[in-house]
Amino acid sequence: MGKYDVINTRARRLDAPDKATGRAKYVDDICLPGMLFGAMLQSPLPHAEILNIDTSAAKKLPGVKSVVTAEDAGMVKYGVSPARYDETVFCKDKVHYIGDEVAAVAAIDLDTALEAVSLIKVDYEELPAVFTVDEAVAEGAPLIHEDFPRNICGEVHNEFGDVEKAFKECDLIRTDTFKNKRQDAGFLEPNGCIADFDPLGRLTLYSSTQVPHYVQRIVAMVLGLPIGKVRVIKPCIGGGFGPKAGTTPMELIACLLSMKTGKPVKMNYTREQVFLFGRARHQFVHTMTTGVKKDGTLMALKNKCYLEGGAYTSFGIATVYYAGSLLTGPYKLRNMKYDGYRIYTNKPTCGAQRGHGSVISRAAWEQQLDCVAEDLGMDPLEFRLKNVMETGDTTINDLYTSSLGMKECLEAVKTGSTWKEKRGKLPKGKGIGLAGGFFVSGAGYPIYRSDTPHSTVTIKLSDDGGNARVYTASAEIGQGSDTTFAMIAAETLGIPLSDVAVSSGDTDFGVDLGAYSSRQTLMTGHATKRAAENVKAQVLAVLSEQLDIPAEEMDIKKGLIEFRNGNPDFEGLRTRYLKEHRGWTDHPGGDDLTFREAARVAFLEKGPIVGSGAYKPGDLGGKYKGAAVGTSPAYSCSAAVVEVGVDMETGKVTVDNMTDAHDCGFAINRTSVEAQLQGSLSMGLGETLFEEVKFDNKGGILNADFGEYKIPTALDMAPVDTIIVESDEPNGPYGAKEVGEGAILPTIPAILNAVYDAIGVRIWELPLTPERVYMAIKKKKEEQKD
Amino acid sequence: MLLPKFEYHEPKTVQEACRIVGELGEKAKVLSGGTDLLVNMKKKLIQPEHVVSLSKIEDLKGIFRENGQVKIGACATAGEIAGSEVIKDTLADVAEAASVLGSPLIRNLATIAGNMTSARPAADLPPSLMAYGAKAKLVKASGERSVDLNDFFTGVGKTVMTPDEILTEIAVEIPQEPYGDHYIKLGVRQALEISLVNVAALILLDGPEGPIKEARIVLGSVAPTPIRALSAETVLAGQVPSDVLFERAGEAAANDSKPIDDFRGSAEYRRDMVGVLTKRALKTALDRATSR
Amino acid sequence: MKKLIQMTINDTDCEIAVRPNQTLADVLRQELGLTGTKKGCEVGECGTCTVILNGKPVNSCLVLAVQADGCSILTIEGMQTDEGLHPIQEAFIDKGAIQCGFCTSGMILSAKSLLDQNPHPDDKEVRTAISGNLCRCTGYQKIVEAIKGVNE
Repeated sequence: MGKYDVINTRARRLDAPDKATGRAKYVDDICLPGMLFGAMLQSPLPHAEILNIDTSAAKKLPGVKSVVTAEDAGMVKYGVSPARYDETVFCKDKVHYIGDEVAAVAAIDLDTALEAVSLIKVDYEELPAVFTVDEAVAEGAPLIHEDFPRNICGEVHNEFGDVEKAFKECDLIRTDTFKNKRQDAGFLEPNGCIADFDPLGRLTLYSSTQVPHYVQRIVAMVLGLPIGKVRVIKPCIGGGFGPKAGTTPMELIACLLSMKTGKPVKMNYTREQVFLFGRARHQFVHTMTTGVKKDGTLMALKNKCYLEGGAYTSFGIATVYYAGSLLTGPYKLRNMKYDGYRIYTNKPTCGAQRGHGSVISRAAWEQQLDCVAEDLGMDPLEFRLKNVMETGDTTINDLYTSSLGMKECLEAVKTGSTWKEKRGKLPKGKGIGLAGGFFVSGAGYPIYRSDTPHSTVTIKLSDDGGNARVYTASAEIGQGSDTTFAMIAAETLGIPLSDVAVSSGDTDFGVDLGAYSSRQTLMTGHATKRAAENVKAQVLAVLSEQLDIPAEEMDIKKGLIEFRNGNPDFEGLRTRYLKEHRGWTDHPGGDDLTFREAARVAFLEKGPIVGSGAYKPGDLGGKYKGAAVGTSPAYSCSAAVVEVGVDMETGKVTVDNMTDAHDCGFAINRTSVEAQLQGSLSMGLGETLFEEVKFDNKGGILNADFGEYKIPTALDMAPVDTIIVESDEPNGPYGAKEVGEGAILPTIPAILNAVYDAIGVRIWELPLTPERVYMAIKKKKEEQKD
Repeated sequence: MLLPKFEYHEPKTVQEACRIVGELGEKAKVLSGGTDLLVNMKKKLIQPEHVVSLSKIEDLKGIFRENGQVKIGACATAGEIAGSEVIKDTLADVAEAASVLGSPLIRNLATIAGNMTSARPAADLPPSLMAYGAKAKLVKASGERSVDLNDFFTGVGKTVMTPDEILTEIAVEIPQEPYGDHYIKLGVRQALEISLVNVAALILLDGPEGPIKEARIVLGSVAPTPIRALSAETVLAGQVPSDVLFERAGEAAANDSKPIDDFRGSAEYRRDMVGVLTKRALKTALDRATSR
Repeated sequence: MKKLIQMTINDTDCEIAVRPNQTLADVLRQELGLTGTKKGCEVGECGTCTVILNGKPVNSCLVLAVQADGCSILTIEGMQTDEGLHPIQEAFIDKGAIQCGFCTSGMILSAKSLLDQNPHPDDKEVRTAISGNLCRCTGYQKIVEAIKGVNE
């Protein structure tokens, strides 16, 4: 056994038995008495003035309980970042994309609600619309939001060092342009919610959200309720990956309808509506110029990026920052200039998705780095090793890496994939490629300006002393956070995991900013550890009084009290416990005093044993504009090697196997860390090879379903050899940092680099569908003929 | 997503089914597997007043071989076809096509009748069956007819069937000559996939070592209906098989195809792929013919 | 007009009046409270609604409840027996094959159908058998390991 009893093991997840038996309750599985069903009317046009809304026929339909429009909802603006609140519950004067909300109905059943929606008549006057970045920024283009000329939603201009000067010192400079397509997160559970406004004026919202805390604030703000009267509860949720990290119009509408009717109101997105809500990966176009010296020293990067963002901002301001700021690691970059623009269009809104903002810039640059290495005649792995950052390095944009096992990751995949034996030695049509990644372990600051702790945790011991329950508002969305916190609590308290329960995802349990920016293990983990230390100290303090032994000379391990100088006479305590439990059959016995006895005595002496912990990062980052985005108490890093086969006649790419190493600081649950790596690589594989949200020429989605929007099936996904690198992060609980998002970063470029190795042609546009790969091969053949 | 309201009919015999569809005409839709019909109804693309399910008609189930023919009942599912020893022995590529249709879950619902009558240009089962010259048995109250599948499809979602008819069976004549077949589906994913292009090839040899007596090539997803690559077939007829010949046949098939650009793929890519897949399908078909 | 149908669900006889336009998935979830059957796409493209109908796994969102008249149905709730969890459920829990859990019911039922016919499947056979059940969390690896491990 190692140093620890509970953490760093492969403990079973707490939620797995319920999920394996169908007992787990997701929001659509919940029924409340008297519940109504809501449905929304959404714009069929991409850009239009609303001339009139006639709800009279809908209101007359039997079974309809409420019909609401902007008249009822008001026009309080909301969104994700307070600096860019640009959404309202309903559109009043104009609609901005196909799918924009115009009205909604609550009725006795969904049938009736949908029929009522179909009876609402809206007169529109269509406006000219813009669907691409080029159209949107063109001179004289129609404006989607009046205050944003040329439809520029946000722009970033940063320079660190002196890029032009550095280029003059370079031996090799190259420029490439790369673009991806809009992605969808592809979580399996469509968003749903139930709002319940009770007779005492309290609103409870059950919702499939990643961020109960932010939803609580937005609901209170938009609907004008005191925040203390709004409670958001997250039941089990079927995946999030980013798009569930903001408030949906549906959540606000359900609350409004419940307030209007005094009844619980359930609403669900259809799969099509999930696509219309969007908020997943933007489309990015990056133009990058990288300069190096002959010996491979990385000197400078100039990065210009346009993000096609859709009708509203959502996370977009953070996204446009992230697309620049996270390229400064994990390789030493001495000079960097970044110009980023996020552009509004009349399409569904893009937001944050796994690896927020940094996935496509990473893909573009890691492919370009391979090109640079090739131009220099260097092995791409050696090139990266030459420039690799180490623990303690600070990037040029002031990101401090308190731990960084990037060299270890590169070495691990080199060995694990037998890189040296394979690189350059595979037959035509087979390829091997490599890439690295770098990511935050939790955003350094909340989305709204505040001094709030980012996470608070309360742990309460059961009165009989046998069990501990962790209360946290954090969001278990499938990643395994509940189990992680239970393990941290059990380890810290010194009791078995089976004696710890977790209640999470409820704003009544405290403040937790939620599941985004890969923050929960580090931040909520810290708060859990602190709460558990507090509880443990309370128990030991009572014991110290009772036994007259200094608390420092006692510890708790595996549910037993350890006395540094040997067991004292604790018969008095034991007798006291036994007297209370006459007739019970599970009396503590043995030579050691149990935690159960100690905790019971603590309860008898002090009342409820409740401990709390909070976590907030210290001041982080530089002083330049936008310095907050990209700050984090810790940074993860990763490397992947991918092997592919390409059918040279059809262009079809098959990923044969993947080797992936990720520095998660310290693995609280080894199985869960591997599972995050495997899941990340699967999502990255889909994004590389298949996934693209496609539009017609009117801004309508052509493939808002899982038949035509293609996420990988079991037959598409390759086996992954996962390697956990542990660099022991000083700012993380027990040395832990993130794994959930950062692991996706190397996947796309590793596949791109492997495909190049297989076919000899660079492809600078995603996804690598058979057609795109075939056309690239064909074009090269034709060029060679000429 | 809710289904529109409809009246449900569940005849126990073909006769009863024919009577119902005969009376209801355009107002009724026939439900066999439901994997297309119910989806289209949920999406409100069609809203029939009546739905007539064939699932309780025992006569429409089963796959059997008799008198040199393979007969596939209308309600045989893709899963049953893919697993049928009779089909695997006699019409290997029909089993192949059935085994790559949708997903295992879909294959347990989707029926051969549904796959024919929904008449999607990318459907998996028609190309191989057309190559074999399979015939659809269409029954109505006043009689029945047999239609060669090569004459069955008339456009996207359209067939020669009249609203009062029910497709009860697909019958395939087993070739007398040494023969081999192959079906290839090219999609983006490995499952749950709609073909970008699909090709079925059938080669009949003039004696075990002989030249090609006749070849049939059917292309899917490259026209409003699956089509025969007739000039490619001409290239092959009477010739001694070789890689060069198959290459030429592929080129001819590409010229025979009439693909369009759509959001799934470009016409250029599809045309090129017809060439590649035809060549490959012919090679495997030849291997099977010579080893039979 | 509602129609009275009879089904055997998880070895228990059940009689219920349903509307013709109700899917089996909706009747299981809304009328019978068997919410372990999920709805992720409602058009047969995700597999979260998988149930075993007369011995074969199907998308219950593409089956009318009236079609299930006289049929035998196994849902995830029927996998557990008096002896406890089914070995496939145990394997999924033990191998870490469950994350968000939304695909899990369908995965386990597809796995059962496979293992009933083929107790020792290879990697490809497992992946094929679950290829109609999408999972966005796991990358399938631990699911494949769990299924392969059940009878090993």
